[in-house]
Amino acid sequence: MRESLVRILTLTGRNIKEILRDPLSFLFMLALPLGMEILFYFVFHKLTPQFEMKYLAPGIVVFSQAFLSLFAGLLLALDKATAFLTRLFVSQTKPHEFIFGYALSLLPITLAQSVLFFVIGGLIDPSLFGLGMIWAIPLSLVTSLLFIGLGILIGSLCNEKSVGGVASVIIMCQSVLSGMWFPLEGMGKEIVTFMKYLPFKNATDLIRNIVNGIGDPPLWKPLIVVLLYTAAALIAAILAFRSKMRAK
Amino acid sequence: MTAIAIKNLKKVYKDVTAVDGLSLEINEGELFSLLGVNGAGKTTTIKMLSTLVSPSGGDAEILGHSILKDPNAVKQVIDISMQETAVARKLTVKENIDFYARLSGQNAQEIQISKQAVYDIFGLDSVRDRQAQKLSGGWQRKLSIALALVSRPKVLFLDEPTLGLDVLARRELWKAIQALKGSMTIILTTHYMEEAEALSDRIGIMQSGKLLFAGTKEALFEQSGKQNVEEAFLHMVSGGVFDA
Repeated sequence: MRESLVRILTLTGRNIKEILRDPLSFLFMLALPLGMEILFYFVFHKLTPQFEMKYLAPGIVVFSQAFLSLFAGLLLALDKATAFLTRLFVSQTKPHEFIFGYALSLLPITLAQSVLFFVIGGLIDPSLFGLGMIWAIPLSLVTSLLFIGLGILIGSLCNEKSVGGVASVIIMCQSVLSGMWFPLEGMGKEIVTFMKYLPFKNATDLIRNIVNGIGDPPLWKPLIVVLLYTAAALIAAILAFRSKMRAK
Repeated sequence: MTAIAIKNLKKVYKDVTAVDGLSLEINEGELFSLLGVNGAGKTTTIKMLSTLVSPSGGDAEILGHSILKDPNAVKQVIDISMQETAVARKLTVKENIDFYARLSGQNAQEIQISKQAVYDIFGLDSVRDRQAQKLSGGWQRKLSIALALVSRPKVLFLDEPTLGLDVLARRELWKAIQALKGSMTIILTTHYMEEAEALSDRIGIMQSGKLLFAGTKEALFEQSGKQNVEEAFLHMVSGGVFDA
């Protein structure tokens, strides 16, 4: 048990260094969403309530997490491409330890994203500050695991050239299907019903509703959907990773 | 004492037989070179012995542990340096060594000893604070091989360790490999005949998944009637077509 924990933390430490030493990580995971938060607020918040900070900031937090899929997938795919992982397969490290190592390494970035976007949002519109925002920060770790799990799954299945394309589908889905930029109700009843079963709108609703103290739908509903997709993505990632380790 | 006992090892990919009933014994502390043209089955053999690929038939024991029945015990006594450079790109040389040492369960004191040992053998001290991705190809290969030593393996697999290196970098790596001789069992695959001649205690020649020859250089010269490994190798794999 102790050896397993040491291996997970060793892998996590290495992955954090690899991610933080890539300037593109900061650009896409922090700078770009922050720029969007500030720009869209000042341009649109008087035109549509969708861009008031209490709705925009939670949406940006979850949207920025979609980029975790890209960076988790890229890190894993590059490790595969350079034989780095093949060498580690000869060590005592188990498939789930690899997955935890990749997943945990992105959680500090998630935390930085939430704190940054909420604090800047609160400085622009102080009504954002409150108990709901404080609760939303730890809860955003849960939604981030969804995207991290999807990223690891993509990285396990794809090569370094195709990860970008597949991950951009997830980023686009989070952008278009989450309801963060425009209300989904305008897309028709069937579409809205369909979105209730996908994780993107549920992840955004979860953070938005806790920030704003909204109890309709109850918090547990989007939470259950997000947790189910997260568990499915992580289990699928472990299985895909295991199959890579046991080449036949 | 036998370090590696390979018994009728076989690997079949769909309609291609990569390794065909390989049987071989390698002694503890020996440096054994596997020679063969592309597709001879050298890398597949190394991958099976290092538990990366499951055999289709047969078995092998590494220091008494079966690669089929007890792969975890095998992993505790082996390490591998692949054909491709396998390092953490954005970590420094020092951080790469720390990473592998921690992963193999070493404590702070053991890590320090491991680090100094690979610094001494490979001369990595001068580039310790440089990121791996910023090193030259030669230094990256050195680091990649050095990392295979960090876990202090009893059996080391070196799959074409000097592939793509210039002559100077190759000679430096030879020196490092020679420094390891006797302290562990080494199985080395290579396309460079002079490398096998300079480094090996015994040589094995593979062709189409089968072992054509295993023995000392002297035995190879005697069997082939040639006076160097390259000529002897050509004679063995071509059936004398390239004989002068």
